[in-house]
Amino acid sequence: MRRLRLLSLLSIVLLIGGACKAKENEGGATGGPKEANTGKVNVLAAVEPEEADALQGIADQTITGVDYTVEFEAAGNFEQDVQVRGQGGTLDVILLPQPGSLPGLVTSAHAVSLEDMGYDIGELEATFGKPFMDLGLVDGKHYGIPTNINLKSMIWYPKDDFDKAGYKVPTTWDELMALSDQIVADGSTPWCVGFQSEGSTGWPATDWMEDIMLRTAGPDTYDQWYKHEIPFDDPSVVNAGKMFGDVMFHPGYVLGGAENTPGLAFGDAPLPMFDNPPKCWLHRQASFINAFFPKDAKAGVDYDWFPFPSMTTEGGPLFGGEVAMVFRNSPEVKDFLDRFMGTDFQCAMAGITAASRISPNVNVGSDCYANQILADSAEVLKEGLKAGTARFDASDLMPAAVGSGSFWTGMVKYMKEGPSSLDGILKDIDSSWPS
Amino acid sequence: MFALRLVGAVVIPIAAFYTLWVTFDFLRDSEANRVIVVGVAVVVGVGGVFFLYWAMNRAVELLPERYREGVRPWIFVGPAMVLLSVFLVYPVINTILISFKDAQSQSFVGLDNFKFVFTDESMLRAIRNTLGWMILVPVAAVTTGLAFATLADRLRRGEAVAKSIIFLPMAISFAGASITWRLIYSFRPAGFGSNIGLLNGIMLGLGQNPVDWLSQHPWNNLYLMVIMVWMQTGFAMVVLSAAIKSIPDEIIEAARIDGASEWQVFRRIIVPSILPTIVVVATYMVINSLKVFDIVFVMGNAELNQTEVIAERMIRWFFIGQDYGKGAAIAVVLFIVVIPVMVWNVRRFREEEMIR
Repeated sequence: MRRLRLLSLLSIVLLIGGACKAKENEGGATGGPKEANTGKVNVLAAVEPEEADALQGIADQTITGVDYTVEFEAAGNFEQDVQVRGQGGTLDVILLPQPGSLPGLVTSAHAVSLEDMGYDIGELEATFGKPFMDLGLVDGKHYGIPTNINLKSMIWYPKDDFDKAGYKVPTTWDELMALSDQIVADGSTPWCVGFQSEGSTGWPATDWMEDIMLRTAGPDTYDQWYKHEIPFDDPSVVNAGKMFGDVMFHPGYVLGGAENTPGLAFGDAPLPMFDNPPKCWLHRQASFINAFFPKDAKAGVDYDWFPFPSMTTEGGPLFGGEVAMVFRNSPEVKDFLDRFMGTDFQCAMAGITAASRISPNVNVGSDCYANQILADSAEVLKEGLKAGTARFDASDLMPAAVGSGSFWTGMVKYMKEGPSSLDGILKDIDSSWPS
Repeated sequence: MFALRLVGAVVIPIAAFYTLWVTFDFLRDSEANRVIVVGVAVVVGVGGVFFLYWAMNRAVELLPERYREGVRPWIFVGPAMVLLSVFLVYPVINTILISFKDAQSQSFVGLDNFKFVFTDESMLRAIRNTLGWMILVPVAAVTTGLAFATLADRLRRGEAVAKSIIFLPMAISFAGASITWRLIYSFRPAGFGSNIGLLNGIMLGLGQNPVDWLSQHPWNNLYLMVIMVWMQTGFAMVVLSAAIKSIPDEIIEAARIDGASEWQVFRRIIVPSILPTIVVVATYMVINSLKVFDIVFVMGNAELNQTEVIAERMIRWFFIGQDYGKGAAIAVVLFIVVIPVMVWNVRRFREEEMIR
């Protein structure tokens, strides 16, 4: 009996000892500069499940003969998931659609810099352009690899009816306004606009503002604007807001009226363009919107697009995009990133019809793209990046409290309350800027 | 003596949990067959805990007799206390700490975040709206639930079917129910094709213009509360129905013989008899209304529609606004608001226990 008692005591001691020993081993593994190969790379992305499947398919085909597996994971609640898993230390690679939140993640989720991963930044800048690489710059180190870019400055129109009516594609803002007047005179409505997007309601309105801001104040003021080096109610911003209002509140310009735009789902907005005859003729939205068009509408026949025209100053295209961030410094993660940003993977990615991705890698040829619309917009983006006039979506670069909060809400409030509310709204957004 | 208790209640459980943790970590990483891994995990987990208690009980037996009974309870209550402190006490303390820090939790900012909670226009609206939820939802859900329960009790047949239908929404998640209801409130302005929303379909059928229901402040708050009432009425009905059925028939019969009308029976006998149950159900609904987040979050831009509630503000500031300080401060306020409800609930429970 006594022996049994000793045995049970001994087993407890062993149990505790084992725990301590295991801890030592673990400490040894994480202490070094590089972590060991775990045989698995997880890529968390804010995409629809279909797009994640398509990416997974490409990975399965192009990344072969390696000692690890790649897993693309579609996150329905991306922002929350990244926060939680980042702090828990269970992230490998994420595809971040809002580079504005990158600096916050660097500190809160312990991201690994590209310098620490052993990348030559000059080489990356030659592949992706310095402006896009600079979006991932925090305290002198780079944290973001551009992996997707999309054009926002697009105005869509129903091509066949448009040609039949004898309208011409406008190249300046004045021509665009003249065209709008012409359509009103012909007894129709020029613009279809919808800003509702559930909890994110308002983002399409901020895109409008940014396009106008970039073309009236110029790229330099635009940069000062999103960095809050000028106040949000600066005269240049007020001017852009007024011009936005001039379109939205102009009698007869917007189908359903500006006050209804915050309640209309952005995906439903372009649909009257495909009525016969069209109930509206112009729709400003980023490159992905054709996924919401009627299934039988043909690109180049039923619809086409032209770039948002130039205004008072020369402004380039507005683009959105996605950067990859790294959270684990290990050989298989590095190998995956090398392959992921390479031309083979990027070209295959450009061919996904469901996703309309455009590669920011300048070496990806226009023949990679799934259709002419993507190839054309890739061309516009390349030119804008080369000329240095292209700019990233400002709301995605502002602090989240503004860029995903007060700016969204302010713009839709403006639509509801009318032209006189602009000054107060811009002042409110300015005061919501985190100090 | 104290040291022994500390060892028994805290140190040994922590060590045991750590061992289990390492084992599970090892199991998770291996490429083995999933079924086998799960099997081993269950055996290790359950067996390990069992062995732990058994071994510790044996260890207590080794102690001198005068210590034994003093230490034993601590050994058994210890693991629960450790779990509670890891998953409940630590997060509470940490949240309170974060609520005094800035957006990135880098430095202390004093009471700034709490000042924000009680001065920001949108936060004040959230507090007012939450109060509305706390009062209106329990009243509406309990009243309709009680009405259904009383009336269903009189059905000759089909009581089970009727109650099942009313209870069904309870099985849907809040987010799922909200998406369903979005189809009811769906809005497209005139000119944008057919309205797929039920309410706007009716409006069009009556020759009216479609209405953007969810932006009609302050009514849109009520439209959102309807969803919660729709989901919770079934729960209230089932619980209250069970309570009604436990009222002895003799009392009701006696009242009827004495000439009481049906309303008097309901008002003077049924309601007083089931009052404790009504209170419990209502408390549950109050707490649920305090926590409401999914419905408001799914149904559009809360700030634009002015339908903010406290829990929704918390998530928005913490995760989307990435301002941990403000998010945590809102969480602390929510926590403080819940406390009186909980205290009252516990006190009532104790009183009832004493009566028994």
